[in-house]
Amino acid sequence: MSWQLGLARMAALLGRDLQRAARSAGGGARLWSATPSALERLLRVDAVALGEVLALRRTFDVSVERAELGARGIAHVGIGEPGYPSRLVELPDPPFGLFATGAAGCHDVPDVTPVIAIVGSRRPTAFGMRFAHALAASLAMRGATVVSGLALGIDAEAHAGALSADGVTAAVLGAGVDVSSPRTNEGLRRQILVRGTILSEYWPGTEPAPWRFPARNRIVAGLADAVVVVEAGARSGALITADFALEQGRPVLAVPGAPGAVASVGCNALLRAGAAMCEDAEDVVAECPELDWHTVDLEVRPIPSGLDGQIYELLGREPLRADELGTRVGGDAAAIAAALGRLELDGYVIRGQAQRFWATSLRGAA
Amino acid sequence: MRRCHTLACNGFAVVAKLVSPALIGLAAATVQVEADLRRGIPAFAVVGLPDAAVQESRERVRSGVANQGFEIPRGRIVVNLAPADLRKAGPQYDLPIALSLLAASDQLARTALVGVGAVGELALDGSIRPVTGCLAMAEHAARCGWKFLLVPSVNAAEAGLVRGVGIIPVDGVRHAVDVLEGRAEVATPVVDPGQVLATSHGPAAPDLGDVRGQVAARRALEVAAAGGHSLLMIGPPGSGKTMLARRLPGILPAIDVDDAITLTRIHSVAGLLPHGQPMIDARPFRAPHHTISAVGLVGGGRSPQPGEVTLAHLGVLFLDEVCAFAPAALDALRQPLEEGWVDVTRGMVTARFPARPLLVCAGNPCPCGFDGDPRRRCTCVPGRQEAYRARISGPVADRLDIQIDVPRLDADEIVGTAPPGETTETIRARVEASRTFARERGQVVINANLTPSQARDGCALDRDGKALLMRAVDRHGLSARAHDRLLRVARTIADLSGDERVTGEHLAEALQYRTAGTIARRTA
Repeated sequence: MSWQLGLARMAALLGRDLQRAARSAGGGARLWSATPSALERLLRVDAVALGEVLALRRTFDVSVERAELGARGIAHVGIGEPGYPSRLVELPDPPFGLFATGAAGCHDVPDVTPVIAIVGSRRPTAFGMRFAHALAASLAMRGATVVSGLALGIDAEAHAGALSADGVTAAVLGAGVDVSSPRTNEGLRRQILVRGTILSEYWPGTEPAPWRFPARNRIVAGLADAVVVVEAGARSGALITADFALEQGRPVLAVPGAPGAVASVGCNALLRAGAAMCEDAEDVVAECPELDWHTVDLEVRPIPSGLDGQIYELLGREPLRADELGTRVGGDAAAIAAALGRLELDGYVIRGQAQRFWATSLRGAA
Repeated sequence: MRRCHTLACNGFAVVAKLVSPALIGLAAATVQVEADLRRGIPAFAVVGLPDAAVQESRERVRSGVANQGFEIPRGRIVVNLAPADLRKAGPQYDLPIALSLLAASDQLARTALVGVGAVGELALDGSIRPVTGCLAMAEHAARCGWKFLLVPSVNAAEAGLVRGVGIIPVDGVRHAVDVLEGRAEVATPVVDPGQVLATSHGPAAPDLGDVRGQVAARRALEVAAAGGHSLLMIGPPGSGKTMLARRLPGILPAIDVDDAITLTRIHSVAGLLPHGQPMIDARPFRAPHHTISAVGLVGGGRSPQPGEVTLAHLGVLFLDEVCAFAPAALDALRQPLEEGWVDVTRGMVTARFPARPLLVCAGNPCPCGFDGDPRRRCTCVPGRQEAYRARISGPVADRLDIQIDVPRLDADEIVGTAPPGETTETIRARVEASRTFARERGQVVINANLTPSQARDGCALDRDGKALLMRAVDRHGLSARAHDRLLRVARTIADLSGDERVTGEHLAEALQYRTAGTIARRTA
């Protein structure tokens, strides 16, 4: 079979998506082998583009292409071929194939162990970033593979968290698997390549485009047993992922935000619409009890004592600035700073936006 | 008659000579100014690598000399400035050229010019205007054993700081001739720098007591002042970063006489010494605009001029909106920040300027400035924040010991229900005490300048401290450099509380001031 790879090449040549054309043709295989006149009608292209497509089809040699991709460390698995993730087949418009690069091939996106997608805002709060990191680490320790989109913000934290717990993580891109985008995540991208996998339905070298991200989100949702939305604004792309998951009948969990919190409007709307509440990894486990979870010992940290304890308790109620803490507990600036230094060091508090400190949960990592 | 006498010298050229100091950076060199009169077509030539300002001095000299009742000799006038390979810049040679001309035409006794140096710019009416760098020139005159140095009377006060040369303030060509020929009183100025420092109250530096709230930021400022640690302030627009920075020079220890003279020399060369004020008596505060070039920041120019980093020597160099500075300009700060001086080489001359300011950078949390602000929404595109913050990297980031967040104040803090904070004087007393304590521990340099090995030796950690440090390195992923920075800041905090040993408490506080936030993600 060669049409899966061929269609990916054809899509790259035309710079667009071929799902609709494949549906009209009655399947990807038929689209690939259609007569020139049928192809012109299905693709709705002019003569020049049609000529290019026909030339491509004539000269396309799947074994040569595979060898070239293989030399660059990129594997491809088409739909219907062994190794194609079975979950994706259930999608209404499954990708014709997946390119994969990294230590784990795409056939290592497991069908048995839990796969959890963690998605969210590209502009999260410090608390959201911390939560996504800890949640991913905690799920990885329970044996889950963490899937996300390698975007800035929550996505990046999810991948980093899974890696920090020596877990496996898969990133699904809206660009070619060899394209470094966003640049800021290049370091993380390399780390994922060492222990995880990077997937994409697009031909290597394809540059990101706005319409590719919703299409990518359907793969993220399709691969996962459950989707956790950590922080999402009113029009966040993470909500698209959640919608895809709901269509597939997969559980969607949302991390609650304070009433009216701009960064969590989308999450709160999901909760109102019936999404499950996610306050820590246990909530995810409870939502998908049938999966093969590892058990872990929850370490409950002791409550700090003295001034540190006083501060931790205050911050547990609401995030405060160092100045405000000073007026509430009455310590001098040096003592408050030292206490915050210790608490931060032991992970009891984190420094968030607007110079406010937040308390973290006493229950393990998340 | 006089002119005839000169021209009658029959080949035994008796050239009229005197000396004048030429500035090279903060130092000076001797320039011989000699004038010769020849029969021939009337002309006035100045030779010896003069720049445009020196060329133009011919016109000023002609008018100035004539307007004070002297005669411009007819014939060919040649003025030579030696050595011929040193570029002569600026209008400061007007007075020596005029005097040599007068001596060459016998309107002034040549013997009166023996051992005499002169410097000054002429006005068209023959009065003398001030020059820059008078202190450095007077010091050069003293070093070279000149008997007298004629200076513009406006510059007399700063020149009066120098012993070993007779400073003669003059305010016109006629006055200069009268003084040289003994017809006028000499009012040699004598300024005692110690006295000036003792009686000065400095420029009315704003008081830290004016700042309400910001308790944490004020504490960090105190630590920075005590250890000489450079500082990065992050906060939204209008949160008071500039207000805090302006108050930092006031809480630094008072300067001593040597420092004051160094500062005066620098500011005089840059033309920034207020007229009539003998010396700079307080630590400078310089806040260059972010459009400044690398040359403006570290110094340069055809005849090397000090840059902002030198003008802020021993004081505070405040880079507001540090992310908006050109990367090339910030990179140029590497040498000055590491070495404490900067070498400026231009053509054949190299000038070394001292440059040991306390660096204070300030920036918004993101390009729009409102990231995390509870009341305004940040409008920055994702990723732009990271790119923005990454601009504070490289040499400057390496040198920033302390980072503080300056939050926007709540209404009640601004309006003033919060009690006013401690005054500048109270805090400076503590800063001075901590530096004294460090000296008594046997440490020569300020904590910010400790080398890594000195920092490790100087920070005798107790057991608690050692354990905490190891956890910090592990959890925050501190690099070796960040680890050393942490130790230096902790040492300062211990000095402030008068502790020989650095404890966990000190380290924990120092951790709050670490600078990871700009370079790496803060939450990780």
